[in-house]
Amino acid sequence: MKKFPFQKSNQSQTPQFNEAIQQLKESKDFTSFMFGLERDTLCISYFTTLIDTDILHRDLLPYLNKSSSTLENAVQALPIENLLFTQKPDDMQNHLLIGYISITMEGKDDQAVLIKADSQKSRTVSLPEVEFSVIGPKESLVESLDTNLNLIRKRLPIQELKVEELIVGKLSKSRVAVLHIDGICDKKNVSTVIQRITNLDVNQIIDSSYISQMITDKKNSPFPQFIDTERPDRLAAVLGEGKLVILVDGAPHGLIGPATLVEFFTASEDYFLNWTMASFFRLVRFFAVLFSILITPIYVAILTYHYELLPKNLINTLVISRSGIPFPPILEALVLELVIELLREAGARLPTKVGQTIGIVGGIVIGTASVEAGLTSNVLLIIVALSALASFTTPVYQMGNTIRLIRFPFLLMAYYIGILGVAISFCFMLIHLLRITTLGRPYLEPLYPPKLHSLKDSLIRLPFSFLSKRPAPKHKD
Amino acid sequence: MINKNEQISPFLVFFLVLKVQIGVGVLGFQRLIIKSAGNDAWIAVIAAGLLFSIIIWCMFTLLNSQKQDLMGIHTQLFGKVLGGFLNMIWITYWLLMGIAVYRAYVEVVQAWMFPQINVMTFSIVFALLIYYTVSGGFQVLTGICFLGVIIPSYLILTIFFPLEYTDFRNLLPVWNHSYKEIALATRDMSLSYMGFSTLLMFYPLIKHQKKANKWAQLANILSLLSYLLLTIVSIGFYSENQISRYVWATLSFWSIVEVPFIERFEYIGIATWVIFILPNICLFIWAATKGTSILFKVEPNRISILFLVILIVMSIALKDRETINTFQDYMSYVGFILYTVYIPILLCLSYIMSKIRKKTHEN
Repeated sequence: MKKFPFQKSNQSQTPQFNEAIQQLKESKDFTSFMFGLERDTLCISYFTTLIDTDILHRDLLPYLNKSSSTLENAVQALPIENLLFTQKPDDMQNHLLIGYISITMEGKDDQAVLIKADSQKSRTVSLPEVEFSVIGPKESLVESLDTNLNLIRKRLPIQELKVEELIVGKLSKSRVAVLHIDGICDKKNVSTVIQRITNLDVNQIIDSSYISQMITDKKNSPFPQFIDTERPDRLAAVLGEGKLVILVDGAPHGLIGPATLVEFFTASEDYFLNWTMASFFRLVRFFAVLFSILITPIYVAILTYHYELLPKNLINTLVISRSGIPFPPILEALVLELVIELLREAGARLPTKVGQTIGIVGGIVIGTASVEAGLTSNVLLIIVALSALASFTTPVYQMGNTIRLIRFPFLLMAYYIGILGVAISFCFMLIHLLRITTLGRPYLEPLYPPKLHSLKDSLIRLPFSFLSKRPAPKHKD
Repeated sequence: MINKNEQISPFLVFFLVLKVQIGVGVLGFQRLIIKSAGNDAWIAVIAAGLLFSIIIWCMFTLLNSQKQDLMGIHTQLFGKVLGGFLNMIWITYWLLMGIAVYRAYVEVVQAWMFPQINVMTFSIVFALLIYYTVSGGFQVLTGICFLGVIIPSYLILTIFFPLEYTDFRNLLPVWNHSYKEIALATRDMSLSYMGFSTLLMFYPLIKHQKKANKWAQLANILSLLSYLLLTIVSIGFYSENQISRYVWATLSFWSIVEVPFIERFEYIGIATWVIFILPNICLFIWAATKGTSILFKVEPNRISILFLVILIVMSIALKDRETINTFQDYMSYVGFILYTVYIPILLCLSYIMSKIRKKTHEN
């Protein structure tokens, strides 16, 4: 970028910086003024809404050499480390649009100096809300890419941590950063991700979830294939495991890939607790997921076809709770599942305080009332509520959504042929999981293909002394 | 050539072989062998297992020397026309085996859970499942074989429930049957061990093919042991008279399983069995599909759709217990010949041919 023109260019070919500035002046928030001692020599232009005026007042204006005749001389004394010289008006416009100040010299319309002065208006680093943990670091990512990079880099102060930056989106021009640790991360993954991101032809990237949906292997799968996290400590940890991380400017979530199914059920907290507790909690989570998917379909299957499957006492309870209910089990279950979804959706849309009220009204009042009115059985109410609760145990939010969605085909199959239908749907799910790849790697790893040494940190978490086989960065000589 | 990513590591051959060996047959093989060998049936189980150990060895010797799948071996040894004809026989065998396994399972479902089930609708749902698996490629198929062993493996624990009521004195006196009776039982038992002929098709998809033999043998031994365990418990649990009336002796074990919250455990067992036999059917359909697509150079997915339509039609056509039985008997007879006669002959021929070729090469 930093080029000095040694030959005076032909007048007819000189780039028209003046014209470029005039174009931008059509916007109200664009400012351009002449600045100089005797003659108005220097033209300073910027978007008032994008730059930090403190920088302009404190670091720029006092140090400009007002009487010089060349642009280089004029900016020589500026206390700013990175001055960008450009000869292209397009380039200048683009930089002005991302918070630079440009200085051109009147009469010498062949180059401009660009000075970075964007105002860093962003939230301060705050507590993680989605992935809160009682113990462990309490920082979460914010919308500013630079802050996020800082949060990660200070946890990994090594030269092997590489950051590649790409600009995506015709309108949004979002900065997308791809992070990996050289020597641990598979080079092929990095190049695949970068290739896929560069090939994207979109107008806007508002959030990292756009990227994750656009670059996954299987776009029609309900299963997420990138882990979405707001914890910088988790990002730093997985970078050390050879994953790559994608950050998008403006998104308070980082993406981790390639992600396998098991990793969606690991929480950062698993590593902060003693391994026995961590393993126990992980197993609870897996059990919760299976429970959440299977329990309502099994209820429908048993009450539609297989009364005799349950012992007499248990079936008594079920039958008594269902006596006088005018709907078949499938309708009852579908309606209740949809009601829970409705409550969840309403709760998610409403402001926090109103949301709590809705939770009480929906959960307690409607629930009790519908049982008393004889519209649903209280056993099913318990089952549906529990399975909804269980779906929220997944540490990654998107996986919880997936689990709630795939319950519905299970329900319909259970209605069709009872527990055989549940088993067939389960097979469909397994085959679907086997067919998914993330960045070319099998989704079910390390369960299939079985990898013994990765199993130590999958369904359970063994003590750290067992996990030492993790790849360490290879230093280049 | 074959993509490295599609290849599987040799130890997964263990699951592929084990899976096809323990299929729907395990639900009721006891009646067949106890019919002729009585309380010495366990000897037949061991004998048949050892016999199939030899056949697996034969297959691997053949495949290791030829370094290609059965389709390639046939065309190389017998030329295009005769080789193609032999290929057709094997393809038909695999397809019909897939149908036989599937129909046997539907039979179990009809007998134990849903006597009134609409076979056509059920078959369409199941065919979709098979298509979804087979079109995923061999990696997915191996995956479901692996999970199809791991997930239902908890069922082995149910063997402890009948132990309480078994009387192992039923096994005595040992060897009170003639050689002929034991040989008959061995032949009947061998049906249960069959199915790994799909190995002839997926051999080129194994990495380090030389190591795979070991795993296949191990799988054979493990299925031998599980059959042996089941046979011994069955002999101890049922009387000879009783077992001749039980078509699904293993399923009847589940009837006595007592868990606090489950009364009829066999329902759970039959539901779990879906994931147990799905890989079997898929492997057979896959082998038939792959063979046909090599033979006629057609896109495999279209062929598997055709085969699945045949599967649906056949399973509707095989209506009553008797036709199914005849069909299965016929299939097992053909299978027995293919395994114990055809494969060794093919091995000898291949050996002789390679000797002749070497000689002509030298001259």
